[in-house]
Amino acid sequence: MPNKITIWKLRNNNPLRKSYVNNNIKPSEFDALIKITVEMSRYLYPYIREILKSKEDLEKNSVIWKDFNKRLIELIKERFNLDSMRVKKLLNQNENDEIIVKSLLTLSLCISNKGYEKLKNFLFEF
Amino acid sequence: MQNKLSFHQSSVSLEIVGLPDYSNNENKDQISIISQWKLNIVDKPLIEGKIEHLGPIMEAFYIYSNLLIKNEIPIYESELIDIKADNLHVHNIVLKSSKPNVKPLILKIGNSLLSDTINCFDQLSESSKVRIKKTGFSKNIPKKVRFGVFNKVRIINFIIPPFIAIFSLILLSSAFIYFHNPIENKEKNEQINSK
Repeated sequence: MPNKITIWKLRNNNPLRKSYVNNNIKPSEFDALIKITVEMSRYLYPYIREILKSKEDLEKNSVIWKDFNKRLIELIKERFNLDSMRVKKLLNQNENDEIIVKSLLTLSLCISNKGYEKLKNFLFEF
Repeated sequence: MQNKLSFHQSSVSLEIVGLPDYSNNENKDQISIISQWKLNIVDKPLIEGKIEHLGPIMEAFYIYSNLLIKNEIPIYESELIDIKADNLHVHNIVLKSSKPNVKPLILKIGNSLLSDTINCFDQLSESSKVRIKKTGFSKNIPKKVRFGVFNKVRIINFIIPPFIAIFSLILLSSAFIYFHNPIENKEKNEQINSK
């Protein structure tokens, strides 16, 4: 990744985004994005863990989960194509819990030194 | 004097006690002969056992987490450990003792403790100071991940359909040879000409 602009452009390969452009992502760029994701999840592990913990017991500590969920939905509405059925599913309060929890759990399991291989394996399984 | 190594991740710690294998000229710090291990999860009973129990328990956690993420039914059952999901956030673990008349230990852990535990196991398997026999660990790697096999399968899938199509076309068209009779055709032509 030569600079941040390259990363910004690569994000537009996501078909859920409003600014979706099919640039045909290269395998090396795909690998680089996975490495960045693993590094970020390693750095953010304490936060990811707290969000998961908060969701486990909403009666005791629901503030963290509610804040996270609210911000995530704000970002989705701001940046994603709201006409897409998949985006609508992400915004549906009854259906999105499982997707969000599993995505966070996947990230939390990929923080080891072999996290890159693990995350790549998980992505191939989707 | 035995060596002791600890791996920590938030609310979980894993302690490994053992000796180096001096017959392999290993360092004093190394652990190759594990005599005992302890898995300590905050607010939960201590889990400990012998080396023969550590591998199957690690394997159970890896397989279970893979099933959980892959949207398959998350259930793992074996002689030593059962893990199943009560719901999306709570996982029920039953550890069965190898000793007779000892009741199984039942634990309920959430996603945060599950990820802490697996990260401790990851640290152990990546540690250069501990050597454990990795029997059956490849099972936790999903089949599609073995890229060599995956690529071969893809190439075969790519080649076989057109090959079958061409082969069946040849077979079908060669059957028409039996219906084609050149003598009969000649006779027909002669009859037309004579008319």
